[in-house]
Amino acid sequence: MGNLSINLKPNFMGLLKCLNSINWFIVFFSLINLSMCIYEDQIGKFDWRQSYVGRIKFAQFDTVSTARKIIVATEENVLAALNLKTGQVVWRHVFESTSSGNIQLLHLSDQIITVTGSNPYLVRGWDLSTGVLIWEWGLTLQKNEHTDFSEWWVQNGLLVHMVPKFGSHIEVSVYNVATGHNRGATSKLPAVWINEGCVLSPPYYTCISGSPGNQLLLSMDVTSDAVQIISKPLAEYTTARNANLNPFDTNTVIPGFLLNEKIILIRGNKFEAINIAVSEPSASVALVDSASGPLVLQTWNDEAKGFTLTAHNLVSGQRVNEIGWSDRSLSIPEPELSAVICTKTAREQHVCRILVTAADDASHLIQQEGRVLWTREEALANVVAVEFVDLPVSDLDAAIESEFDQKEAAKMHSSVLAAFTRRLQSQFQQLQGAVRTLLAGDAAAADEPPPLVRDYFNLHKIMVLLTDAGKIFGMDNLSGEILWKLYEPNLNTEAAVMFTRRSARHPPHDAYLTIVGKHEETGNGLIVSLNPIRGTPVGEQTLHLDVQILQCAVLYKADAQKLHALILLDKDENVQILPESSAPLVENMYMHVADRSSAVVRGYALRHDGERVSAKNIWSVDLSGGGSQRVVWSVSKPAAERIHSAGRVLPDRSVLYKHLNPNLVLLLTEGPDPVHKDVVVATCVDGVSGGVLSAHVHRRARRPALPLHSEHFLAYLYYNDKQRRHEIATLELYEGPERWVPAGAAFSSLRGARAPHVQRHAYIVPAAPAAAALSATERSLTDKHVLLALSTGAIVELPWALLEPRRALSPAGEAREEGLVPYAPELPLPAEAVVNYNATLLRLTRIHTAPSGLESTSLVLATGLDLFYTRIAPSKTFDLLKDDFDYYLISVVLAALVLATYSTKYFAARKMLKMAWK
Amino acid sequence: MNTKIILIYISTFVLGNVYCASDLTEEEIGHVIEGRVFPPEDPNNSNWQLDTRVHVNGGEYIGFVREDGTFVVHNLPSGSYVVEIVHPDYMYEPVRVEINSKGKYRARKVNYVQTSQVIQVPYPLRMKPVTKFRYFQVREQWRLTDFLFNPMVVMMVLPLFLIMILPKMMNDPETKEDLKQISNLAKISDVPEMSEMFTKIFNRGSVPKPTSSKAKQIKKRQ
Repeated sequence: MGNLSINLKPNFMGLLKCLNSINWFIVFFSLINLSMCIYEDQIGKFDWRQSYVGRIKFAQFDTVSTARKIIVATEENVLAALNLKTGQVVWRHVFESTSSGNIQLLHLSDQIITVTGSNPYLVRGWDLSTGVLIWEWGLTLQKNEHTDFSEWWVQNGLLVHMVPKFGSHIEVSVYNVATGHNRGATSKLPAVWINEGCVLSPPYYTCISGSPGNQLLLSMDVTSDAVQIISKPLAEYTTARNANLNPFDTNTVIPGFLLNEKIILIRGNKFEAINIAVSEPSASVALVDSASGPLVLQTWNDEAKGFTLTAHNLVSGQRVNEIGWSDRSLSIPEPELSAVICTKTAREQHVCRILVTAADDASHLIQQEGRVLWTREEALANVVAVEFVDLPVSDLDAAIESEFDQKEAAKMHSSVLAAFTRRLQSQFQQLQGAVRTLLAGDAAAADEPPPLVRDYFNLHKIMVLLTDAGKIFGMDNLSGEILWKLYEPNLNTEAAVMFTRRSARHPPHDAYLTIVGKHEETGNGLIVSLNPIRGTPVGEQTLHLDVQILQCAVLYKADAQKLHALILLDKDENVQILPESSAPLVENMYMHVADRSSAVVRGYALRHDGERVSAKNIWSVDLSGGGSQRVVWSVSKPAAERIHSAGRVLPDRSVLYKHLNPNLVLLLTEGPDPVHKDVVVATCVDGVSGGVLSAHVHRRARRPALPLHSEHFLAYLYYNDKQRRHEIATLELYEGPERWVPAGAAFSSLRGARAPHVQRHAYIVPAAPAAAALSATERSLTDKHVLLALSTGAIVELPWALLEPRRALSPAGEAREEGLVPYAPELPLPAEAVVNYNATLLRLTRIHTAPSGLESTSLVLATGLDLFYTRIAPSKTFDLLKDDFDYYLISVVLAALVLATYSTKYFAARKMLKMAWK
Repeated sequence: MNTKIILIYISTFVLGNVYCASDLTEEEIGHVIEGRVFPPEDPNNSNWQLDTRVHVNGGEYIGFVREDGTFVVHNLPSGSYVVEIVHPDYMYEPVRVEINSKGKYRARKVNYVQTSQVIQVPYPLRMKPVTKFRYFQVREQWRLTDFLFNPMVVMMVLPLFLIMILPKMMNDPETKEDLKQISNLAKISDVPEMSEMFTKIFNRGSVPKPTSSKAKQIKKRQ
């Protein structure tokens, strides 16, 4: 035996050595295995996707193909087919987001014809039923400013392009639609009377021209060979001083236009005023063909009657009663008739389907009698800001919570007996609840939507989405269902921010969310406060300030009502506190403002002098680098971030302490350089003291983007012009092997100026990134992962370990032991790391993450043209049983084991007995 | 001489800048990238043209695939472009297309690490699907072989093999003696009686553990 072990020993030691040397290989492969892909049967279990197209610009009903559709072209440069019955997207083509993707024309015949771009133009033909491209041709015109006013339409199978040159002439070109052959070359029609107020009603171009008091109404058929001008004195039609011409929103019948509130048609080279009054100046008017002759449809939002629609017969001027209605319950601000189709049933009744687009970007398909078939909230194609809001706890949980709340308990129940009865009461209530859920079973639970209360793991939240159109949505994160919506027509959401100023944790106070934006017209501050759970206004409600806002923040201390005050710094460097009563709480408060174009960053200290709060400019940093640089991004740490560990343990058992400066701001600037073409500079500035902690220059680089900032690490992307690739630069800040401040002491930016040790690396991203975010968890125990959205429509989840700047090119022994992956210049973007699998997300703009009650799980919402929600577990779900956990198998095995134990015991006893008898 | 070279160098740089800053002329704009996408070999993928998008420089320019798979991206100024075919389920290899100011084309493989390496590919482009993306993990299924080759099971079975079978194979009396000792050591005590277990739990420590003391004795003897 001893012999054997001696023989084995050297071999065993060798094996150990071998294992040690391949240790880092094991670590490396275990990292690769970290890729968090989901199982195929989990599709749609934790995630959902909603597809949008944007605000509808042009729409036409497809009456030709068998599957009934609406073809729409949108402001977001999307061509899409919507299912007529459900409003779902059947197919969708996304053009460039720049002006080269602008859709100028949508025309439906046996195929879809679109004109996109603005010089050069592209004319494309699409298959009406499948949506596949059939042909395309390009057109480049001589550059001039008039092309912006050019008009396109299709007439008799020919594409007509008209460029008006105001005060001079009109250029008209006619092309063969499919091939682009120029049929009659370009003809120049002399027309000195045209101006910017002219309207086109193909093929007539109509203007009001002449000196005031002697104005003429002029119109011309721009496609006819012989130039014929219809001219009439304006006084014949209107006596109003300010005559305005407006085109119809939809016109499929006769050329015509609106002159103030009058409908004028052009028939047989003559103007013809129609005796149908336009009820409201803001009304949207459409001319539609129907079985009983052309109809005039009008819609507007009546103050008294709400959404109103009327229809008149064009020939008789009679009102068609079966089409008109008004409805107070519909909230459609500034409705616009995008497309109308009217048919007649067997009973000689009009059946109309009307697609209405509102000022809040929503599209409604309305049938007869005001029945809304479907509504598409297209404002969601342009989400500006997102906030995840916790739901309030249920009444039962609240009762238990208050019972164990020390202060409350002392107040309410002075005696032990009272506390005991209360305990019994709540136990009984819990039992009741349990019995109720048991009796109700699964069937009832599936039918009704889950109540808006917090669940056990706090995975159920409300997402408040602020959109570009000024519409605010409250959305259930588990189902994607819209719970409430609020339209603020005056809210300009450019650079708008959202703050949760009070969570739903403090009953009886409501949750409180504030949006700080600009007023659409004045540019002054506009503050909207609402209850994020119900979408009702609270507190300040909608507050219109009389100054422009420079910077805003939320006070870190809450007042007696648990409300965090809003601090506004206005253009004149005055401070406003909302509510005013919180002003004495302002203490140790600093703000910084970065000017985009001048690249000057200013820091302010806020002081309360007993009466009011004043801001004092205490520092300023000029990042312009001689005037050429401008600030592109400024990013500070997430406010609610927690830090789990203060350092990293190195293999020699010493600790490398992280530099955890909560005031650190990363500023990315970009500008031209005389030698290096373009230069990107990343500067880390302390937001309180204004000290520059580190600065990094990237020469021949452009478009710095998507900064990430958390704990002690920073990352940002830029385009390397020299190598023509996207790169991600990562930085980590360390204090070194010793702490600067003793453990437990608060960090102060004003104490000593020591520069942290900065480690950095850059990695190649072999794709075009569109958005980036870091995973966020409750206590930051879980690994941090980077979510990188690519232009291809995939969101890739990368462990921070792959981006770590401490990855050495060839790790020495110690680094191996620490588990650092050796440096590789190109980041791997495997398909298994794609969190949205094959659900491609078009034109992603931003990713938002939020912690859940489970430490392992982070909630993710990606916004762009589509909305995509999912949850990720960066370190896998270590605190939750897997969803495929086999309860059945484990209980069977357990039962079998118990059974086997006792049976073998019985048999063993019998055997012993037999042995004893022998 | 040296200063002259530097001067020339600077002047070319300045010129280059001016050239870049000036508006693109008529000839500059209007190059096209042409190619053909081959459909993935999937019988139920009938409308693959709709799902397939042609992205140039990450969506800066977009092309659309026709019925027969051909595509054209219009209105490109001369420069270097990465052409990607984006399909949700299939991977296509991207290609870098370089168009010089004279309108000459060169297509090559994309290599982000060694950017100067040129491996030419034919132009007009011919894009073929490389593989199907594997987004999902395969669910583990219970198989007998998996169970048997599980390290834990192997760890249990191997000592059993050593204890039960080896003695029969070895007839050496000395080793037999040793093995007897081992089997003594490994002798599993009786399955605990329920009541016994409870008493053990409730007056922990007071009851001496006979098995452990026996093991100690054996160790001492060795």
